[in-house]
Amino acid sequence: MKKVAKLFLNGFLALGLLVYYLFLSWIVHRTSYEHPESLFFAEKLKILFENPDSTLITLGTTFPTLVFFSTAIFIPFGYLFAPIVASIALTTLLFYIILNDIKSDGQMSLNIAVPIMCLLFVFHPGLIYTAISGRGVAAILLCFYLLMRSLFQYYRTQTTFYLSMASIYLTCLVFCNYHFIWLLLAFFPFIVLVSLEGLKINKDQPQALQYLDSVNNTSQRRKLVNRTTAIYVIVFLLPLGALYLFRTLNQTHAGDPTYFMTSQYANWHVLGDIPIGELLARGVTENVSEQTQLVFQVYALLLNPLLIVAIWYFRGKLYELLTLLAPFLLMSIVLVNNINYLTVEYYLMILVLGLLGLSLYSKNRFSPKVTWFIIYTAAFLNVFGGIFYFHRSVDPFEQHFFAKLKDYKAWIGEKKITEEAQVAAYISSVATANRKILIDDAAAFAIIAHMRNTNAAVLPTNKNYITIVENPELGVSFLCIAKDNNSMKNFSVLNSYNLEQMSVRNSFTTLLMYQTEHWAIYRIVSNKG
Amino acid sequence: MARCALHKMALAGAFSEEKLKEVEEIAEVYSYAPIKTALNFGFLQRKEYVAFLESQGFQFINVREEELEPVYIEQCDISHMNSFLYLPLRKDASGTLLIAVADPLDEKLETSLIVKFKCQVKFVASSDLDITWVAHKLRGGFFVKEAVFGLMKKDPESSGLITFTDAQLYFIFGFIALFCIMLIFYFAPTIIVINLLSSLFFLFSILFKLYLALTGSKSELKDVVSKEEIKNVNEATLPVYTILLPVYKEDKLIRKLIWNLRSLDYPKGKLDVKLLIEEDDDKTLNAVRNLDFPANFEVIVVPFHMPKTKPKACNYGLFFSRGEFLTIYDAEDVPDSDQLKKVVCQFRKLPDEFVVLQGALNYFNKNENFLTRMFTLEYSYWFDYMLSGLETLDIPIPLGGTSNHFKLGKLIELGAWDPFNVTEDADLGLRVYDKGLKVGVVNSTTLEEANNEFFNWIRQRSRWIKGYMQTYLVHMRNPAKLVRKVGWKGFFGFNFFIGGTSFTFLLYPILLAFFVLYLIFRFSAVRQVFPDWVLYISIFNFIAGNVLMIYVNMLAVFKRRYYELILYSACNPIYWLMHSRAAYKGLWQLITKPFYWEKTNHGLSKLSSTSAVVTPE
Repeated sequence: MKKVAKLFLNGFLALGLLVYYLFLSWIVHRTSYEHPESLFFAEKLKILFENPDSTLITLGTTFPTLVFFSTAIFIPFGYLFAPIVASIALTTLLFYIILNDIKSDGQMSLNIAVPIMCLLFVFHPGLIYTAISGRGVAAILLCFYLLMRSLFQYYRTQTTFYLSMASIYLTCLVFCNYHFIWLLLAFFPFIVLVSLEGLKINKDQPQALQYLDSVNNTSQRRKLVNRTTAIYVIVFLLPLGALYLFRTLNQTHAGDPTYFMTSQYANWHVLGDIPIGELLARGVTENVSEQTQLVFQVYALLLNPLLIVAIWYFRGKLYELLTLLAPFLLMSIVLVNNINYLTVEYYLMILVLGLLGLSLYSKNRFSPKVTWFIIYTAAFLNVFGGIFYFHRSVDPFEQHFFAKLKDYKAWIGEKKITEEAQVAAYISSVATANRKILIDDAAAFAIIAHMRNTNAAVLPTNKNYITIVENPELGVSFLCIAKDNNSMKNFSVLNSYNLEQMSVRNSFTTLLMYQTEHWAIYRIVSNKG
Repeated sequence: MARCALHKMALAGAFSEEKLKEVEEIAEVYSYAPIKTALNFGFLQRKEYVAFLESQGFQFINVREEELEPVYIEQCDISHMNSFLYLPLRKDASGTLLIAVADPLDEKLETSLIVKFKCQVKFVASSDLDITWVAHKLRGGFFVKEAVFGLMKKDPESSGLITFTDAQLYFIFGFIALFCIMLIFYFAPTIIVINLLSSLFFLFSILFKLYLALTGSKSELKDVVSKEEIKNVNEATLPVYTILLPVYKEDKLIRKLIWNLRSLDYPKGKLDVKLLIEEDDDKTLNAVRNLDFPANFEVIVVPFHMPKTKPKACNYGLFFSRGEFLTIYDAEDVPDSDQLKKVVCQFRKLPDEFVVLQGALNYFNKNENFLTRMFTLEYSYWFDYMLSGLETLDIPIPLGGTSNHFKLGKLIELGAWDPFNVTEDADLGLRVYDKGLKVGVVNSTTLEEANNEFFNWIRQRSRWIKGYMQTYLVHMRNPAKLVRKVGWKGFFGFNFFIGGTSFTFLLYPILLAFFVLYLIFRFSAVRQVFPDWVLYISIFNFIAGNVLMIYVNMLAVFKRRYYELILYSACNPIYWLMHSRAAYKGLWQLITKPFYWEKTNHGLSKLSSTSAVVTPE
């Protein structure tokens, strides 16, 4: 019995974690917590399956593609819940894979690893957020972990298999978050050092000197360049090729190769990423300083003491150390040209990397007791780091999540519904297939996600959308309008300003039927008699 | 008293006693005449031997120009003549039988022939090569017929003598007719469906190859036979190993060949090397005759019989093979020196069902020009990853042209090679699976000469692709039976790997043309057959397919540490177009002259194989 328990321990624990996350998500969502990225994917799924006019454009351009596809797998749970189940499943999978790796690698005792992993995945607010927000963070963390693991396995075995697996995971990662393509630069230092391995130079001296030796010898320099290029090409051909393909498809089908990056219909980040300038304009000056060069990296490292411990363990192994530090270089590159507030995934990848580092190299450095003490302390500090992060985060969606998570009294109270859900309920009650509503999912994706179906709506994906925007009387009875105080009003043609223009141009009047703080539903009253 | 020429040479100090002892031991094992052993196992140079006999007063005759009385030769068995190098010519006026022999001092042979012919015999000296040539020409008829028709008699369903069966012809013409009718009535939808299916097939075929390559790349993690094991092999326990070397007009490569064979780490007396020379190939025969150092192979002359193919020559060579294991090399091949020992060790470890092991092939002239670079990329990927992937997934492995190591007994049971199939090796690999046996992969490399000339390459490749088509047609005569024998996995693997490879090459230029016409020229007519969703899938398949093919090529050369070739992988689409050109030629020949063997010229490389570093991986 004990043997069976040991054999399936990881499975049992992962199953327990899955149930825990499902329960937690149910509770938190009862308090009206919803992440807009999750609603964005839910809406895209709904359009994909209910709107035959747009199958290709929705399927082919929605980005991050991999996150979107992963949510599609969970359609049987319903459009709204599919993204959440997807992120829960992926987080649980990450937990299972890490634990399995620790078990098979044997570097870290399971007596240490199991409690640490449970502690982190159960209590770290970042990982809870990853699981139950329905965002793409879980997919990012999973791909990132697999990528880094493959690189370390390559160092150990020097086999092409792991290098090609790294390339595949990197491709997946780029299709979870476009910024990760900049690993192209961040990987450069350690790839050069890894390339030194195959050269005939004095291996007893420090790697920096080995590098100097090789560049000062024509034959070795040529070999170094060849090998570095080869590793580079092997790792980056697939992601770059995939991006080229994706851009070509965007060009041929949406008329713009960067459609997936710049269109509010294809990418939630166009709407949801918050420019730091806007935060400052809103008067949020506190804690924005963490989003600057070096401070960001140091802050991320301090919030994740597990990586500090891992770096300590890896001292003396230069290129492995540089691999651990590559994400910090990535952050630097991203920050060079970044105008948006970087959210929790950039911190959590450091945590995941710390776990990977320890799982690979925590044996025999210190006595078991000391190891136990160091790792437990770091893990506890990591959980507090997570709490601290959310406490200081100025991202409104993360703030909202943390507030709901802390408000445990509301968990058992009456179920609350969001503003968008209320609007959707109203639309579903009045609009029919014969009395349709004109709605723009660029801003109103959350409303569409909550609607019973899209049969009663005319959306931008419908072929007659432009005609109806020009002359609403021709095809719809209702209009869903983003009010002036709606932060997304500029992303949609259906806002208060344009409503006036439309009614003047077409000589119809509108009757306000229903409104919430940010949305208004109008009925069109024709003046043509 | 001398018993044969070698003893006399030893007495005269022209041959060492140690060598003589060794020759006698080997001759005993093979039941050969001592002179045959000495000339064929690297102990004695032909020119030296001739000079010695002439110094002893022997005059050499040319048996190819001598008058022969058939009645005497008909009493002789070809194997015996081949082993003891004699040829009965005619009786003289005194009733003495004149016999041409390679060793006129061989007393043992003389005694046995007196008993055999029941008359006095008189030996006349002649070249062993000429004796062999005449003996095989006159008495090899039965064996050569067996070599050609053996498989057809034993297992007619596996023979490629009939290229298209009636059922296959009905199917092909039925399909073409249906296609034409559909084109007339539903032009655009038909083209769309064909376009879509081709495009999906193309992508799936390449995804399958990527999957195979990734699976195969895992094989780097295991080494079935370690260097230590090879080092500790007890040479006394090693079996006799036959090496077949089918050549045709390869006179320039004979010296290289001897050099390469010498580098093999295997006991000299246990290497049964057969150089298979066609009857009309005097060039090669004379090259062997004119060698100024000892040869370490036995010449077998293959009598003329159509089809004049390599498998026919190999089948013929089988009748004279003595080994427990057998392999084939081309004349220019440079195998890893420990390859044979490694194979023996691996066979000993593997279950009995493994009857053949395929070694990896690669090229020594990889950096010679664009073609050799691309060829190296392709072979690295094929032999290092694909075959390992197929082995891991238990999917039929098409054998490569050389460096395939067989259990000789099992090879004969299988009916050996199909002389009507121009890729007899690939066909044999599938037949192995057909019979419930297995092909394995051995982690050892043989360096070959990559084809460095465009038209020569096209000829070679068209033969390979034609052979794949032939193999596909032979094994798909009864698909249901094939499924029963190799299972669904094997069936799909066979279809995508053997059928898919040829089909993809035929398809590639058509898809490329469509793509270019639409994307670059935006012809409106093409737009009709590219509705949005078809265009999406086509672009996806085309770009993803090409990128993945480039990628898998890169992986393999990376493993080989040929870093300088990595960027050449980007030229893979051009290389594929060359394949397509060869595929259409192959298809045409499949219909017009299915058994025609497009000869590949070897020895065109300016680089020497000895310049290549032979290091076991």
